[in-house]
Amino acid sequence: MATMRLQPDMEAVLIDRVRRGEHDAFYDLVRPHERGIFMAAFSILNNEADAEEVAQEAILKAFKAIGKFRGEAKFSTWIIQITMNEARMKLRKDRRHLYESLDESRKGEDDGDYIPKDFADWREIPSEALDSARLRSALQKGLASLPPKYRQVIVLRDVENLSIAETAEMMGITEATVKTRLLRARLMMRDALAPGYDGAWRKGREYEKVRPF
Amino acid sequence: MAKKPIVEIDCRAVWRQVSNYIDGDLAEDVRAAMALHFKNCAHCSAILDGTRNVVKLVGDGKAFDIPSGARSRLYGKLDEHLGRTRSKKRVH
Repeated sequence: MATMRLQPDMEAVLIDRVRRGEHDAFYDLVRPHERGIFMAAFSILNNEADAEEVAQEAILKAFKAIGKFRGEAKFSTWIIQITMNEARMKLRKDRRHLYESLDESRKGEDDGDYIPKDFADWREIPSEALDSARLRSALQKGLASLPPKYRQVIVLRDVENLSIAETAEMMGITEATVKTRLLRARLMMRDALAPGYDGAWRKGREYEKVRPF
Repeated sequence: MAKKPIVEIDCRAVWRQVSNYIDGDLAEDVRAAMALHFKNCAHCSAILDGTRNVVKLVGDGKAFDIPSGARSRLYGKLDEHLGRTRSKKRVH
């Protein structure tokens, strides 16, 4: 469900009201960013239950810190940054990063060319095809299959439409690195989805999984 | 004034830049070289179409969403902090 984003001046009004003690206004402020907060957490944790827990915590932290929010940054950028910091803290706390770092060294290096695995000729998939639970499931599985640093960059850039500069700042990397990782992420997603692309997505047919995700 | 000749670009170089090409984030000479390559190379053209498709799908608001249970619990910790029993639902 897409929620309309608030205009910047409307956000400023709500922030002001929150600071003056109108707590309801904070819910209205956060509502347009709910998906962004959840997806930012998911991009790091790759687990829905953990992403939910971190999203809850990030919303609470943002509320407590609203007095420190300076209007130079967008509210969305600010709360997503809080979310990503919380997610990273959870990873450290769970010591999961120790296992993930092994995976990182095996796959998804930034150096060297990523060679696309599939040359199937795609035709445009209309937005209506996303009504198919199978296609949405394939997208979700594809996203979950990406190495963490590629999943994060494609979520921030392509799902949440942050700019390259904003994405670089969120991830603490250079813009050049964002672009390199984004390229790999997009090509990997393409390869992950390609098994379904025999026209099945458009025609609403069952597709046979040719390759594992 | 004579038109600048377009330099040929190979497939690997195209794959390296396909993401920037989709975002319109290339110097004009590189963009033109890639456009010419896509006209003549079915494989790279297929990769371009597929990658563009992925960007479009991933960016579609319907592709990813919060699980409905998680959405209803999103303000749980805030509610608890504020001493509320349940988040107020607003109709927009």
